[in-house]
Amino acid sequence: MSDKPKRPARAIKLNMLDEPKDSYTGGKSSLCPGCGHDQISNVIITAAWENGIEPHRVAKMSGIGCSSKTPAYYLGQSHGFNTVHGRMPSVTTGAYAINKDLLYIGVSGDGDSASIGIGQLIHAIRRNMDMVYIVENNGVYGLTKGQYSATADIGSKKKKGVVNETQPIDLCALAINLGCSFVARSFSGSKKQLGSLIKAAMSHKGFALIDVISPCVTFNNNDESMRSYGYVKENEITLHMTDYIPHFNPVEEIEVPEGHFRDITLHDGSTIRLETISAEHDPGSAVAALTSLHEAESSQKHVTGLLYFDNSKPSLAEDMELVDTPLVDVPDTVLRPGKDTLDKINAALHS
Amino acid sequence: METIANDFTINIATANGTGSQSANLILLQSLFEMGVPVSGKNMFPSNISGLPTWYIVRLSDHGYQAPGNRTHIQVLLNPATWHEDLESLEPGSVVIWNENAKMEMTREDVVSYPIPMSALARKINPKIAKLVTNIIYVGVLAELLGIDQTELESAVAKQFKGKDSAIELNITALGLGRDYFKDNLEKIDPYTVEKRTIEKPQFFIEGNEAVALGCIYGGVQMLAWYPITPSSSLAEGIINYIPQLRTDDDGKVTCAVIQAEDELAAAGMVLGAGWAGGRGMTATSGPGISLMQEFIGLGYFAEIPSVFWDVNRVGPSTGLPTRTQQSDITMLYEGSHGDTQHIVLIPGTVEECFEFGWRAFDYAERFQTPIFGLSDLDLGMNRWACEGFEYPDQDMDRGKVVRDRDMFEAFEEFGRYLDVDGDGIPYRTLPGSGMDPILYRGTGHNTKGVYSEKPHDYFDLMQRLKKKIEGARDLLPAPILREEEECEVGIIYLGSMENTIQEIDDILESTGIKVSQCRVRALPMHSEVENFISRHEITIVLEINRDGQLYGILRKELPNNLITKVRSVAYSDGVPPRAGIYAERILETLKGDGQ
Repeated sequence: MSDKPKRPARAIKLNMLDEPKDSYTGGKSSLCPGCGHDQISNVIITAAWENGIEPHRVAKMSGIGCSSKTPAYYLGQSHGFNTVHGRMPSVTTGAYAINKDLLYIGVSGDGDSASIGIGQLIHAIRRNMDMVYIVENNGVYGLTKGQYSATADIGSKKKKGVVNETQPIDLCALAINLGCSFVARSFSGSKKQLGSLIKAAMSHKGFALIDVISPCVTFNNNDESMRSYGYVKENEITLHMTDYIPHFNPVEEIEVPEGHFRDITLHDGSTIRLETISAEHDPGSAVAALTSLHEAESSQKHVTGLLYFDNSKPSLAEDMELVDTPLVDVPDTVLRPGKDTLDKINAALHS
Repeated sequence: METIANDFTINIATANGTGSQSANLILLQSLFEMGVPVSGKNMFPSNISGLPTWYIVRLSDHGYQAPGNRTHIQVLLNPATWHEDLESLEPGSVVIWNENAKMEMTREDVVSYPIPMSALARKINPKIAKLVTNIIYVGVLAELLGIDQTELESAVAKQFKGKDSAIELNITALGLGRDYFKDNLEKIDPYTVEKRTIEKPQFFIEGNEAVALGCIYGGVQMLAWYPITPSSSLAEGIINYIPQLRTDDDGKVTCAVIQAEDELAAAGMVLGAGWAGGRGMTATSGPGISLMQEFIGLGYFAEIPSVFWDVNRVGPSTGLPTRTQQSDITMLYEGSHGDTQHIVLIPGTVEECFEFGWRAFDYAERFQTPIFGLSDLDLGMNRWACEGFEYPDQDMDRGKVVRDRDMFEAFEEFGRYLDVDGDGIPYRTLPGSGMDPILYRGTGHNTKGVYSEKPHDYFDLMQRLKKKIEGARDLLPAPILREEEECEVGIIYLGSMENTIQEIDDILESTGIKVSQCRVRALPMHSEVENFISRHEITIVLEINRDGQLYGILRKELPNNLITKVRSVAYSDGVPPRAGIYAERILETLKGDGQ
């Protein structure tokens, strides 16, 4: 990119590569207006720009679903692969084996990661493959119009339909138990926190899971649940619901200081209580991380921040003992052993 | 007594996990080293220990490699199949049986050689008597048939490379078997082994190992696999050759190996590797291909070079996991939902296993699509004679990849899915290269790779894909034709049937019917296949399956005037094809045609 013509002197902020933020944007989003996923896309754009990552060294990976459509909306100068439902981890693993030097950013949803693709997620974690894995978690299947996903809270009730009585899968708890080397939770409206987490994940050598609560503007209508618009409206005073945001606007941007919580109002009027994990939390302790997740669950909050981190684990490339040059750059003459080697093998087989 | 030399079948009935496989391979190898044309078929159960196993050794100066149509010498060790094995014998057959098996000899019309195998084995070492029992019968057979002691000892040394105590133990056991027969029994059967001059030196190798070696010379960069019989030894073959052939001085490798969590993931990894510009492959069997269907469609539609080896076993479902069949043909050719068509390479010899092993990657990158190798359990897991492997005669074909800016700038218009050359094959750029980045997708797309639902975009794309694969027909391995003179009847067959075809041909000829042969080696089929059919009055398509899958493909693709000339003979019972069964069915079919 260094040979690009000099830009006219304009007051455009450039990053360390002299690139404007525009170099990191993508196509126009086709998601519902106000979707939290678009906020996450913007955070990815900002994080990549601020980190000074060369866009062409990024590989954008995704599965199927609303979240998995988003790679079209950021990093337009990066190659990407919108694969099949729940199978992004395996495709990324294969690509990584061939080119371990790219920055792999995977975006997935809760249907993709907690149901159809949970096995692949688990095994990508187990291999500690170098990648950023963002789950845009909204508790519903959006593209098929609002079925519950495996992360939907117990007691959720859709406008039409039955109460969800199946217990949810907490992807962060799962990842910590699997020994995932970087586990974080955030919220689509927490631009600053999410930005820091994504930037840190981009620098992490190993598998970085960021579970981002990203409410669905269209299908997350739990009218009769205790977090519903109706319920909240009736209990407005007790819940200090002063900042209700109507449908089809992005959820508010929010920063919660470490160790504190705040109630966030969602599109349907329901609220969600976010707590930022305290500054005293030791991210090297899986026990402390799991405790905070379980405590948050029992008090109906979501704890956010960097929950668990361990940079001592070998990454997949180290495990596979690959040559230093990415395999894609290894010349054909090295990949195909010489004729003398086959002569020797033939001779040995004949002996 | 008239002797019968080098023209009989030995059936050895043991139980799985008793070590009989080593003994059988020693027998096979020593016959092979005497220059006797011989083949061995392992009929093993889907089990690690205890279930019945048969090993069939066919000696044939005609070079027949199929299991014979009957057993001439039965070795009986397994009480579980004792009566069944005995009852299936024709009168006059030879039975070598373990006197210590607490089973009775219930046939009086056979040549009976009782041997106290267990007692002899216990003499050597009571702790491993069960293991040694197997080598005792090899000693008995050696004495009975006249197998050279030197060849036997060299086969033992080969089997237990460098393990001196094992070599010594086995040679002692062979001697005990030999001596027992010599001292206590009299040979009253006609079967003997005669040494033959070896014109071209050959070695024995399994098809799976040959494919593995071929893949290594094809420059495989990533193997993702999930263990499944009968393909595991293909993947393990690659793994075993990596230290010798694909490891640098620092112990670092140029081929990544990933044991995947399942076949779906293995297929995903293969596509990921191809997408990133590498040579990725997997090895599996039918059940694995069933699981991979979704990715196969993605590979076809998004045009990702990828290689899948299917070592066919008996289906449907779990089927008979340790038996052989040619029943995945249709699934491979038309794999995944929607309209698809895939390139399938079908080796019929171990030499071709090696060759198609490396060629598959060239085809994958040339045509930017999934390539299947179709082998089967018989070819893959049994040992076949081989004269040696030929080094690839051309450089690796990396296909249409835009590797630098100058090449990119030379395009008047660039689109990932734009057919510039008129052959249906577009150019691609690689991730990380900085050139023409696109988001690959399994959704409908235009020539730029952008999502599109426009009718003409979809229609044009599907037509181009058809053109691309159709264009491969005559660039893929051509059929092998054996057409010495004008014949009215032609036989089309494929894969491991190669090992039975000569015997079938001879049986047919003995009834006065001469046929020409055409062995299909790839799908879509070469135009020579159609020409072959047009040159014959009747063409029979011979396959190891129930439904005549190759026949079905031909019926779909042949012009109307040729369809009526084609007949199907398809049969499968899990056992490698026996010539008599197929010849009989061919004759019946021809009778129906008034031939």
